[in-house]
Amino acid sequence: MLTVLIRRELLDNLMTFRFAVAVLIMLLLVVANTAVLIKDYERRLEAYNTALQTEDRRSQDLKTYSGGRLHVARPPNPLSIFNVGLDKRLGNEIWVSHSFVPTLWDTGTYKLTNPLLNLFTSIDIVFIFEVVLSLIALIFAYDAIAGERERGTLRLVVTHPVSRGQILLAKYISAMLCLLVPLLMSLLLAVILLTTSTVVSLSIGDFLRIGGIILSSIVYLSVFYLIGMLISAVTRRTGTALMLAMFVWGFWVLVYPNAVLAAIAPPQTSQPRMVSAYEEIKQIWEAFDRERKQFLANDAVPGEDPHLGMVGAGPNFNQIWGSGYHHEYFHRDSSTLRYDYHAVSNIDKLSEASKPQVPHAQDYYRFLGPQIVKAAERAWLVRKQALETIFVQPAIVDRILLRGSPVGMYDAATQAWAGTDLHGLRDFFEAARRYRRTLIDYYYDKNAFGAQQWFSADKGAVDWDSLPQFSFQRSDVAINAARAFPDICLLLIINLVLFIGIFWVFQRSEV
Amino acid sequence: MWHIAKREIYDNLNSLRFALTTVLLLGLMLINAIVHLQEHPVRMQKYHDAATKSLNRLRDRTHLYQIAQEGPGYLYKKPSSLHFCADGGEDFLADNVHGGFYAWATNDLAGFWQLDYMPATLNRKNIRPDTIKIDWGFVIGYVLSLIAILFTFDSISGEREHGTLRLTLANSVPRHTVLIGKFLGALVSISVPFTLAILMNLLVISTASEVQLGTDAWSRLGIILFIAMLYLCLFLALGLLVSSRVRQSAASLVILLLLWVTFVVFMPSTLASIASGFSASMTYDEFNERAIQRVNELRAEYDARLQDMPEHPARKMELGGEYVIKDVTERERLSHEYLTQQHAQIQLARSVTRVSPVVLVQHLLEVFAGTGFERHQQFVENVQRYAREYREFVTDMDRADPESLHIIGTYAGMSKKTISPESIPTFEDTLSLGRDFNAAAVDLLLLTLFLVVFLSGAFLAFVRVEV
Repeated sequence: MLTVLIRRELLDNLMTFRFAVAVLIMLLLVVANTAVLIKDYERRLEAYNTALQTEDRRSQDLKTYSGGRLHVARPPNPLSIFNVGLDKRLGNEIWVSHSFVPTLWDTGTYKLTNPLLNLFTSIDIVFIFEVVLSLIALIFAYDAIAGERERGTLRLVVTHPVSRGQILLAKYISAMLCLLVPLLMSLLLAVILLTTSTVVSLSIGDFLRIGGIILSSIVYLSVFYLIGMLISAVTRRTGTALMLAMFVWGFWVLVYPNAVLAAIAPPQTSQPRMVSAYEEIKQIWEAFDRERKQFLANDAVPGEDPHLGMVGAGPNFNQIWGSGYHHEYFHRDSSTLRYDYHAVSNIDKLSEASKPQVPHAQDYYRFLGPQIVKAAERAWLVRKQALETIFVQPAIVDRILLRGSPVGMYDAATQAWAGTDLHGLRDFFEAARRYRRTLIDYYYDKNAFGAQQWFSADKGAVDWDSLPQFSFQRSDVAINAARAFPDICLLLIINLVLFIGIFWVFQRSEV
Repeated sequence: MWHIAKREIYDNLNSLRFALTTVLLLGLMLINAIVHLQEHPVRMQKYHDAATKSLNRLRDRTHLYQIAQEGPGYLYKKPSSLHFCADGGEDFLADNVHGGFYAWATNDLAGFWQLDYMPATLNRKNIRPDTIKIDWGFVIGYVLSLIAILFTFDSISGEREHGTLRLTLANSVPRHTVLIGKFLGALVSISVPFTLAILMNLLVISTASEVQLGTDAWSRLGIILFIAMLYLCLFLALGLLVSSRVRQSAASLVILLLLWVTFVVFMPSTLASIASGFSASMTYDEFNERAIQRVNELRAEYDARLQDMPEHPARKMELGGEYVIKDVTERERLSHEYLTQQHAQIQLARSVTRVSPVVLVQHLLEVFAGTGFERHQQFVENVQRYAREYREFVTDMDRADPESLHIIGTYAGMSKKTISPESIPTFEDTLSLGRDFNAAAVDLLLLTLFLVVFLSGAFLAFVRVEV
């Protein structure tokens, strides 16, 4: 009996005008936007490759260890075509050095062609689904029950020996089958476009992630279909059902996601917390500076310049040391709690007069290097917690608020699959931090802090080849799945609740 | 006709959609007002602090050479008090132009100031989710148009389904009267909650002490309301058009909604993305390379001419001054060219998106609210005008001093008199309604054209409708 009902419903739905329009519009939008998105990805990939080349050239100029400003670039994520998330917005270049721990708040950006292009919002595939799929689901659902009741056919069906639950199930299954057609067709086309494009290369993992996105889309679609059905079961007339469905759609899809963050004022950036954390970090570095100065005071260098000439790099730097440069500074930024010490020197040629001072300088840096690393780690412990409470927690609260609408859950789930959510991006900075450890280990390994090559390239440039290259692998599919799991579960629960609700209402309603 | 309109209004006022519309619009406008009251004072404070700082540094300069060499410093864009009407993507547009100098010095010469157009510093630290700003542009462009569709999709097809259309037409009323009646009925019933929401919004905003709206702002608001009404009429006409062409009201709504989604949600961004691919501006690296090359050329030329010259201090000084000015002019020309290319690319993309009425309305709102891209261009023009004024001031001051050698660009060749700080021209970022009208003319005409086409379409469709 169920199959008969399903077949009837299926035919009813497939032959409609709305089905044809739905398929057409989905295909059109997805194809047009995918083409644009691939083009955009191509541009970003090009910028990334240029950044890599620049870095290559730059690293050849690094002749001393202390000059080791290694830049690490973040590749664009090909799955950002599905859901761009934070992938495009956050900085994509960061430098790794032993003297500070990189975070996502210290990034730079490799140059884009026209910065004004940001004026145009870009639309990703998931956004199309969020808006259009939900609309189509509601259009299919609003008359599922109310329509039959109006026409009187519902009475006919109920007279047959089928349970009401079966009728509902048949309606649900057949409509979902119909709705899957535009969804799967458009996604298939998008994937075909992606695979035929020469710039986008997808791994097996990526296909699995796309599978996850499809799964989330189906669950999301089902939520909106059930909302429509509930409205249809509650109302007497199709006109009212339609109107209510449209307002529900307008509210959940259009108004709520944009208005909720503005309506619920963000917690004022915890200014006192910021100040206290900054003060704490500052003290760590000031303590470091005192120890540094003390070391210099104790280690009196014979001759006129007790400060090795390099410290502070006074006007007679070149006279003492020969040719080259030396920068020494504290990088301070209270808005991101950055406070760290840098001493970068690159002396091409040592003057005869300075040669006796070389051992002293070596002593000094042998002492200084580990001190810097230690201070940086200590400051990082403070900074990490402060950044977490000041920046990350409000962002997480925002995302919880957005989950008040199914759109928010769907968005979060697909971002998690695509790896463009906050977790996915933080993975990159995690990798950058790991790379910093590699660099420090490399320094210790080479005994670099105490080496003459730390500050002078007099005896030849540093050979960076033995330093492992930075590489960033996006997280495993299993991790993506785990991150998407809560949101998919939420959507499933909503599905279940809605279905039970409809069943309950329908059981009790008069036909 | 009035009877028909009245009937429509009564019908609508009692309906569910009217109640929902009122709640929705009031809620959105309230959010808009509150957000504006929070953000605007901060924005203004930031602008005033920055502008004052920059002005004080300018006033500290007392010597003509210093004024001529160091330039006016940072010139800031004044935030609009109507920011709540249209956000205009201000975050992506630079809020200042730097009139400063590159530090180089040689042979008693130093680099002069030039206008440097820096791109906006984007907030790369922001990890909060992206949302569309709830400004009037959003409420009018997205929500109001959706409401217009929901009010009209069944106004003809629905009556035909119920058979009441036949009844109405059986009376001795001409068809166009029925149509106009329906149109007016829907217009009034949407205008009521919309006006209510707008009034509430303006009441909240104007009673707060932090925000002052002048007469200019009020007249701009009047124009914006007029545009909103025009846009509302456009979607009502579209709704009537589709409603009279399609037999079933459900089908009519499906068509209207999908049209709405394509035109309002997708067309603006998709078309802009496609169109921005038509033209390309040079990359920053290209620009930088060109600039460096040109500057080096000029330098080589100057060095060569200096070599050829017999010892003659006055001629040498003249040559130096000439070189300094040429260097600055070329640098500025190149950076201006770079900016112009960027603007041209955006302009083209914006023109293509004019196919969509929502884009027209957003452009218009931006222009009259004094935000967005058009406004930014006007700011750049203002800055350029000021730069000319500033340079003329230096020349005039120098000319007025009989002891000066009148060789601008060199320290020795310029007037040594002290300048009173008050006489230095200051930058005033102004908005002119006349210019805004010019910028808006095309959009306004296109919007009217859309309206006329849809209205006549609705009329034709309704006249030919079979009941």
